[in-house]
Amino acid sequence: MDIQSYIASGKLELFVLGELSEREEAEVLEMAARYPEIREELNQIEDAFFQLDNQTGKAPSAGLKSKVMATWEREVLGAAEQAETKIIPMQPWKTYFVAASIAAVFASAVAVYFASQYFSLDQRFMALLDEKAVLVEDLNQYKVNYEQTETQLDVLLTGNFTKIPMKGEPFEIQKEAKVDVWWDQSAAKVFVSVNQLASLSEDLDYQLWAIGDAGPIGIGLVNPGQAYSLQQMESVLAAGAFAITIEPKGGSESPTLEKLVVIGNVG
Amino acid sequence: MEEKELIAGLRAKDRKTVDYLYENYSRALFTVISRIITDQEIAEEVFHDAFIKITKKVDSYDESKGRLYTWMANICRNAAIDRTRSKEFSQDSKTNTIDDYVYGLEGTEGTVAFTDGIGVKELMDHLNLEQRFVIECMYFKGYTHSEISEEFDIPLGTVKSRIRAALVVLKKKLDKI
Repeated sequence: MDIQSYIASGKLELFVLGELSEREEAEVLEMAARYPEIREELNQIEDAFFQLDNQTGKAPSAGLKSKVMATWEREVLGAAEQAETKIIPMQPWKTYFVAASIAAVFASAVAVYFASQYFSLDQRFMALLDEKAVLVEDLNQYKVNYEQTETQLDVLLTGNFTKIPMKGEPFEIQKEAKVDVWWDQSAAKVFVSVNQLASLSEDLDYQLWAIGDAGPIGIGLVNPGQAYSLQQMESVLAAGAFAITIEPKGGSESPTLEKLVVIGNVG
Repeated sequence: MEEKELIAGLRAKDRKTVDYLYENYSRALFTVISRIITDQEIAEEVFHDAFIKITKKVDSYDESKGRLYTWMANICRNAAIDRTRSKEFSQDSKTNTIDDYVYGLEGTEGTVAFTDGIGVKELMDHLNLEQRFVIECMYFKGYTHSEISEEFDIPLGTVKSRIRAALVVLKKKLDKI
């Protein structure tokens, strides 16, 4: 191989200008690796081109540098920084951690949901229990009322009762007042049922009197609020009339005649 | 800065190195482009893009093939040639004759700028007409050597040897400066 004629062929200049085909380029590189003279010549040609370019032309305008640097920062540096943050590989345990976190959050949400469901059900259950208690109480009350009423009805039906209506018409106190006495003379039982009777102040009571040969006898207090139901009084064997007076709380030994409300004579 | 250092800095995307590259090579690289593209504005645009391309592609630069500058200059030259061949670049410079080049060299645009006391024209004066023609074709108009051979009907070997001879002369002149 005549190295000098290879150098003189102009191939090396074309190589430096990037004008050779890949195959020719490979050949030049191989020659340069084998013969230091060729490598040296290539270096000189490269130097020469740089000197030629650097000394013959003019520089770009002064403002271009800041533009180029700005683009570099944005496109090259910026892209590199972005890529760096993206590339951070995820450790396997991190994957599990993420999965576990998601599962935990999900489980918590489910737990909270069911807990709220539970508490709301519990509240409704307690409300139902309360309601049931009220109903039971009511039922018991009705039962008592029913039994009472049944007993009274039994008493009325099985006994030999006479109805003695007492009226307020003859007196000035309560003209509208109406109270009935139910008396079984043979059994000596007395009941009253209020039809119309004004309510009294706390310190007063209505007292029922049986008026017989021995004068009036107090046989019990009458509750004006308990209308249309039988209120049992004390036993009376003989009486010509019944009357109600207003007395101090608890009743009196003898009636206050000025406070006579109603009166009814026996048949 | 050593070339090795320069290459490593560019690959590491180091701002100071990029700055250094610009300070020390922008003139030579811009010259490569402005020889082919006389319009200052377009030449600067092409240079801007080529410089960014260099910083982006520095990883693919293969040190075993030659100097960094040679690789960079080829990127710039190719970018400039691509631009002249693009649709929007209407001026068809390839139809120019050697007289046009000489005329062009004596004009006032980019390529004739005299810098540091030495101008292209002065350098070119040391070449004979044949040498000067091939150098100008390749350097100023972006022809490949085979295109010169085809278009001007000069044997390929002759084109090569003329380039060689021209460069030998230029080298000597440049060394003296």
